[in-house]
Amino acid sequence: MKGESIMSNTGTSTGRWPIVEEEIQLTLPELCRACRASEEHVIAWVFEGALEAIGQAPQEWRFSGQSLRRARLATWLTLDLELNPPGVALALDLLDEIAALQARIQRAGGRWPAG
Amino acid sequence: MKFKDYYETIGLPRGATQAEIKQAYRKLARKYHPDVSKAADAEARFKELGEAYAVLKDPEKRAAYDQMGSQWKAGQEFRPPPGWDDGFEFSGRDGGSGEGMDQNDFFEALFGRQTRGAKRTASHGHGEDHHARVLIDLADAYRGAKRSISLRVPEMDAQGHVAMRERKLDINIPKGIHAGQHLRLAGQGEPGPGESPAGDLYLEIGFNPHPPFRIDGRDVFVDLPLAPWEAALGCSLTIPTPDGSVQLSVPAGSAAGRQLRLKGKGIPGDPPGDLYTVLGIALPPAVTDSQKEAYRAMAQSFVFNARDA
Repeated sequence: MKGESIMSNTGTSTGRWPIVEEEIQLTLPELCRACRASEEHVIAWVFEGALEAIGQAPQEWRFSGQSLRRARLATWLTLDLELNPPGVALALDLLDEIAALQARIQRAGGRWPAG
Repeated sequence: MKFKDYYETIGLPRGATQAEIKQAYRKLARKYHPDVSKAADAEARFKELGEAYAVLKDPEKRAAYDQMGSQWKAGQEFRPPPGWDDGFEFSGRDGGSGEGMDQNDFFEALFGRQTRGAKRTASHGHGEDHHARVLIDLADAYRGAKRSISLRVPEMDAQGHVAMRERKLDINIPKGIHAGQHLRLAGQGEPGPGESPAGDLYLEIGFNPHPPFRIDGRDVFVDLPLAPWEAALGCSLTIPTPDGSVQLSVPAGSAAGRQLRLKGKGIPGDPPGDLYTVLGIALPPAVTDSQKEAYRAMAQSFVFNARDA
């Protein structure tokens, strides 16, 4: 599931790196590592509906690439703002809704007030 | 290196309690988190705030920072006095996500040694994943491009001192990528302990501002002002797109706000985005007598009430 990678010794990298949101599914350990959250937290977010997992048991779970942004945000909401899983789920849904409204305003040529 | 006044960043006096610091951080973090705020400087403010909080929330780091005294002012040239942290024992615990933390010279000079020394190795023997945000040009998303980017990464020497190192990376920007998406550079994160694999590097893509274009996902929007007669009678115009000019037919009787869609002329992909021109009407000022006469002639020719239209 890893993207093809070509590494050199000079610290540069070339090759075709995958777009996470389109080409990658993440396992539970991969998602935990990418968002620096514990498995317990991620499992709790899934059971609360804040994140969507494909598969039955946690060890079989696969997360779409879109989950990365949500999971990173969930980590911040949990560790820094001390939200519990239902709070995280609500905040993520509301943020999505705001983003959709902002996009509609932008499409119509308006400007979202900064701040 | 400039001194940073963490108390000023978080908006509290030096005597603030831990509870007040937490409360102030949360209030400001909610305001400036880049996923929450659309303010232009939100990301920079959020990083500054994350750095200040990483120090002030930790009683050990805060005490060491406080010991440097209040004579320093934000922005002053600063070098940590030798042995400034003598007598402080750092447990290296990390109570937060570190989400807002941006590694920089000031923080690393003060605390790099302790935080790096106590690096977590709990990620199943893997090196940690790193995240960075890079801004690309819209044209690169249309055509794909090879770009050289530089990231600043903290690096620890054999004595345990941390210095910021510039790391250059050549990346291939895939055609069709858009803002908010991530590239995963496998094995380009933090080296793993011992023989274990390195972490990955995730690059979040953003676009440099590209007036006159606005971007939503793969769709691109551009305002197209028309003269009243162009809108009323229709016209054919050459308009700019991020990938060269195209010919556009504006139908007769086009009203302001009407959107003309150029299918598939947005950011490429499967399916590709569309390019929308948002029509506007620009009114020519009536300055000379003949211009005023032209408006009067229009008024005579129409039975038109703008309030009823």
